[in-house]
Amino acid sequence: MILIFGGAYQGKTAWAKAQFDLRDADIYACTAEEAPNFSKKCWTNLENFTRFCLARGVDPEEWFRENRLAWEGKVLIFRDIFCGVVPLSGEDRAWREATGRALQYLAGEAGRVSRIFCGLEQRLK
Amino acid sequence: MKILIAGGSKSGKSDFAQTLALKLAGTGRRFYIATMLPFDAEDRARIQNHRLRRAGMGFETLEEPRHPLRCLEAGPGVYLVDSVTALLTNALFPREADYRFSPESGEACLKELLDFAGQAEDAVFVLDMIFSDSNGYPPETERFRRLLGTAGQRLAARCDTVLEASAGRIFLHKGAVPK
Repeated sequence: MILIFGGAYQGKTAWAKAQFDLRDADIYACTAEEAPNFSKKCWTNLENFTRFCLARGVDPEEWFRENRLAWEGKVLIFRDIFCGVVPLSGEDRAWREATGRALQYLAGEAGRVSRIFCGLEQRLK
Repeated sequence: MKILIAGGSKSGKSDFAQTLALKLAGTGRRFYIATMLPFDAEDRARIQNHRLRRAGMGFETLEEPRHPLRCLEAGPGVYLVDSVTALLTNALFPREADYRFSPESGEACLKELLDFAGQAEDAVFVLDMIFSDSNGYPPETERFRRLLGTAGQRLAARCDTVLEASAGRIFLHKGAVPK
């Protein structure tokens, strides 16, 4: 699995498409409202999927631990949501924390971890 | 040579950008494109602080809040654009229109900035990283973030060197730092 993260508007998906020869049809953009299409090669906006999990009482890190077959060999893309002021709402705090823990777990499991900065890769693993 | 230096607030990017501009200029001319339109006393103090920090470095200051291409009329030399953020802010919320949101003016400014980057021989661009919050923003602010993020990506593609400043330290993302 390849893990990609970076700030908003940094060109993460565009970089992944070019790097791993992905087409639009290979990409699923997660929302907080529906379960991802697990058959796609690349999932973007995984910070929305973690919200989807929490709304259903599922811890995102646990989900990833228990559903390895769903994400193995995939390209996973998260937005960096971790550098702002602590969110005021408890729900958002829990979301940010749970997303960060899931990201750490996945970074440990990933074969490659890339942070995208102004469209450029910073290889972290 | 063209260099992009990006980082958070007070990360040391302006100071390092000035040092780089001096290195690139050697004994040649160096231009400081002053982009900020002061809104209040705090802004005026910030401008004064930036002036003091570059005093004695031999920069010729070009006051140009919106139209970087006009600066090239000054002739050959190193152009320091500090900052891309202020330039795009000025364009997106034009003072003459009472700061009303104008996406067209913002997009036009980005295009002009990229033309500037294509035409300038030597330039250093300073850009603020404001992209790693968890909270969403109102649509106009998101539009601004998208415009600035796009500017960062496009400038990074056009620049020989891309640097990230953090706590006064510099991380190299692309190319090499001039000696």
